[in-house]
Amino acid sequence: MAEVMIDAKNIVKDFKISKGLFRGKETLRAVDGVSLQVLRGEILAIVGESGCGKTTLAKILLGLLQQDSGTVELCGSKIEQIPRLELAKMVQPIFQDPYSSLNPRKSIGSIITLPMRVQGEKNSDVWMKKALQTMDLVGLPARMFDQYPNQLSGGQRQRVAIARALINSPKIVICDEPTSALDVSVQSQILNLLNDLREELNLTYVIISHNLAVVEHMATQVAVMYFGEKVEEAETDQLFSNPQHSYTKTLLNSILSPDPRQRNKKN
Amino acid sequence: MADQVLNVENLSIDIPLSGDILHAVDGISISVNKGETLCIVGESGCGKSLTSLAIMDLLPQKAVRTVDKLELNGSSILNYSDRQMSDVRGSKIGMIFQEPMTSLNPSFTVENQMVETLARHRNIRGKEAKKLAVQMLEKVGITPAKQRLKQYPHQLSGGLRQRVMIAMTLLCEPELIIADEPTTALDVTIQAQILELLTRLQADFNTGLILITHDLGVVAKSADRVAVMYAGQIVEEGSVYEIFDNPSHPYTRGLLSCIPVPGKIKRGEHLGSIPGMVPSLIGEFTECRFAGRWGDTLGKEEENIAHLVPIEGVDYAFLVHGTTDHVVRFCCNSCLKKSKSKISKGVN
Repeated sequence: MAEVMIDAKNIVKDFKISKGLFRGKETLRAVDGVSLQVLRGEILAIVGESGCGKTTLAKILLGLLQQDSGTVELCGSKIEQIPRLELAKMVQPIFQDPYSSLNPRKSIGSIITLPMRVQGEKNSDVWMKKALQTMDLVGLPARMFDQYPNQLSGGQRQRVAIARALINSPKIVICDEPTSALDVSVQSQILNLLNDLREELNLTYVIISHNLAVVEHMATQVAVMYFGEKVEEAETDQLFSNPQHSYTKTLLNSILSPDPRQRNKKN
Repeated sequence: MADQVLNVENLSIDIPLSGDILHAVDGISISVNKGETLCIVGESGCGKSLTSLAIMDLLPQKAVRTVDKLELNGSSILNYSDRQMSDVRGSKIGMIFQEPMTSLNPSFTVENQMVETLARHRNIRGKEAKKLAVQMLEKVGITPAKQRLKQYPHQLSGGLRQRVMIAMTLLCEPELIIADEPTTALDVTIQAQILELLTRLQADFNTGLILITHDLGVVAKSADRVAVMYAGQIVEEGSVYEIFDNPSHPYTRGLLSCIPVPGKIKRGEHLGSIPGMVPSLIGEFTECRFAGRWGDTLGKEEENIAHLVPIEGVDYAFLVHGTTDHVVRFCCNSCLKKSKSKISKGVN
């Protein structure tokens, strides 16, 4: 039995939304009783339409948001009891838009090494060496160490974001739409990279995506969310061949196959 | 041809930068017939959107457009004044943009905006305009149309907004619709609905449609003809079946191998990729735009094929003889030489 990396039970998260001046507040339930379990080395994909609570859930798993009820355990310990720095070593995010997730005033080297400095590593030789190693791992040439984000292409920036996430050897990486801001040719490079890294570093991924073809290619397990609830979870092959919930069926029907001969089959 | 809606020949767009020129679009020609869907596909920065803006004469002031022919329904609109062009926009050529929230005016109701369009382009006002607006909303599948007319754009969801945009575009019964990434900002389920709607309405009204997209799934679903753009040029054009079944340009092949197709590639297995980066479009090109990006675009079977037979009159295009009969095109001589070493028995 593989180690359970993420064990979330009955997570609920409410947001208070102002209805207007003097009109009190309304409660919006963004995540409604979602339970998830991810084993070591698995790739769990969370799919669903925009506004269904995918990103809120990811933020809770990252410890960036506090759930209102329910428990989250990472590697066997409760997320509230893990100190901030420890948590950052354990789980790291990769965000959607590499244009806004990198500080334009910092050099690539400084962006990648920041997590090490935050963890208290003072010796600059150590983090320099580690940074160059990580850059090599994600396929960034060493000469980019002193360059700035605006000198890099979208794919290279996403590699920087991946390098920054990996430098402290996390166990879990949460990718929130890691390729949706990228062109298809760059997307395939990043997906290949994520797959290689998982094998090399024994990582566990949670991938949030609305691109079902990407999900089918990457994930071992898929959870479908709809209006804050998890409506279905199954192994990828099973979900794609035999969807149970009506929303999942709608989702699968709306995949646009890159084959012009299939265009009329579904309608 | 009688049923040709749009004909553009040799369109170039140059953007002067300090001391240099960016050749954003470099000599492309496209044409669209009535009732036909032309998909322009390519990666960001390859000049797709500028092309559509150039047709509408909406380019940023700095950009310089040079074009040999720009014909709408057989008559040239190249030397139209601003006033004449604004009559063409909307009534003859409709445009649907990517982000419906920014193309609708947030401070007016749907009714206001639709009625204004009718008044401006078709001189229809009052009750009749309202009646037409309701009809059109119903046609694009918005119910209850009367109530929706009174709403503001922020009260509508993304999919509904895009439907309103399409309804507004159709109000003037344009002969050509240019849709620039119409579904990119939408959820997948909505995307499928909007594409179906566009295709159905296009058939009903027999309009020409230029669909600009980077999503090959969208292309496969809606296109009749496809033009593949790369670095400011159209590298390949053909019917949707030709492009998907037998892509000849290495860039098209690369693009097609990049997308994960459910059931085709095993999980975790490597997807194809196009190595390197899109070249900078600043300054003049000294070598091929695709040089160095060939990667694995030459299929395994072609590497082992004995004979490539040159095709007369087409530069660097070869018919593959052997197990399969299809066309391989090399973009230039240097790419051809590089690939020759890969093809085991050489080109005759």
